[in-house]
Amino acid sequence: MTTGNPGPTSGPVRSEFADDAEMTELVQMFVDELPERISQLNEAWNSADCQRLEHIAHQLKGASAGYGFSVVGEAAAQLEESVRQAEDNLSAATRQFDELVDLCRRATM
Amino acid sequence: MQQQEQQPVLLLIDDSPSIHRLLGFKLKNEGLDFLAAFSGDEGLELAKSNQPSLILLDLNMPIMDGFETLHALKDDPETIEIPVIVLSGTTKPEEKVKAFELGAMDFVCKPFDIHELRVRINSAIRISRLMRMLELRAQIDGLTGLWNRAHFNERMGTELEAAQRGESEIALALCDLDKFKNLNDTFGHPAGDAVLQGFAAVLNAELRSYDIACRYGGEEFAIILPDTNLEQARSVCERVRVKISERVWPNYPKLSATASFGLTHIGADGRTDASAFVDAADTALYAAKEGGRNQVKVYSELPEAGDGPAKLALAS
Repeated sequence: MTTGNPGPTSGPVRSEFADDAEMTELVQMFVDELPERISQLNEAWNSADCQRLEHIAHQLKGASAGYGFSVVGEAAAQLEESVRQAEDNLSAATRQFDELVDLCRRATM
Repeated sequence: MQQQEQQPVLLLIDDSPSIHRLLGFKLKNEGLDFLAAFSGDEGLELAKSNQPSLILLDLNMPIMDGFETLHALKDDPETIEIPVIVLSGTTKPEEKVKAFELGAMDFVCKPFDIHELRVRINSAIRISRLMRMLELRAQIDGLTGLWNRAHFNERMGTELEAAQRGESEIALALCDLDKFKNLNDTFGHPAGDAVLQGFAAVLNAELRSYDIACRYGGEEFAIILPDTNLEQARSVCERVRVKISERVWPNYPKLSATASFGLTHIGADGRTDASAFVDAADTALYAAKEGGRNQVKVYSELPEAGDGPAKLALAS
């Protein structure tokens, strides 16, 4: 769905399970925790803690799709990969970092 | 041996709370009980203390990663039999190969499709249940439901060692149904089978929960009596002897069955090995047959006991 199509670059990113009444509460919990994730990401980024950054990205990659946010999961996978390749030069991963943070901010029920 | 079918217990070892919540929700109708561990260490502890039916193990965890955890699980006799499905965010073949080499039963990539994970969980639980059943079946006698000779051979050694290490007493009885061939010839083989099953039923009813009853051969049975002195062992055998002789056989009103018992025992500081112990019980059983059947004979009370292979046992 998202391949080749960057999708809208602003506006809310809705969970694919937004219409699944059973999932609502669970997805909402996940969304509610995203600001905490964002601040963890920022913290790791600002202190150039590659390991931590890679780990948070890895967790987001594993969980996001399960809550209906596969675009977030894909962005997280890209950040994880680019941090791994960037080694100590984090600036090479700036675009991926910004994109993930942006998507996390826009994620909503 | 009388295990009840309980709800399978699933242990999830993953450092991400989001995954715990998601799986708990998606698998809530699968009839599983959940255990949650957020690190490898915690997972190992829970696996040991709770003996879950299945472990879902995340590979990428800080401090102790999934491979280390898997290695530790498969290195410990207490957890080695628990099936493990590895969950991983990477799709690299070499990671999968490593996981299987370390003893994983299956491998699922994250983000996972919940339907796929569900069927893999059920399949892993089914396979491991069948494996355990096969293992158990191989040690159970089909006709009587008692332990079989293979189990006896293994168990006699371990029980004897445990008794000698812990300086406790132990007894062994060999019993043989009297004139079993006559009984078969007179009443037919189904009657013979009924008597074997009836004898097993008497053993199950009369033995204590920690006694180990085995079908040793055709119409021969062995009873290991751990932590038991000679008089207790003798009274257990007497009780069984009386019960089998009094038993009524509804389909064979004219049938009556008796059994002979050979008993041996070592005290808390006694020493013997399994084969000498079995020989002593066998000698006593032979004496019980010679003495007119339907009786209990004790090895140490036989006149020829001094020459027997279990001489060591008598030193105490």
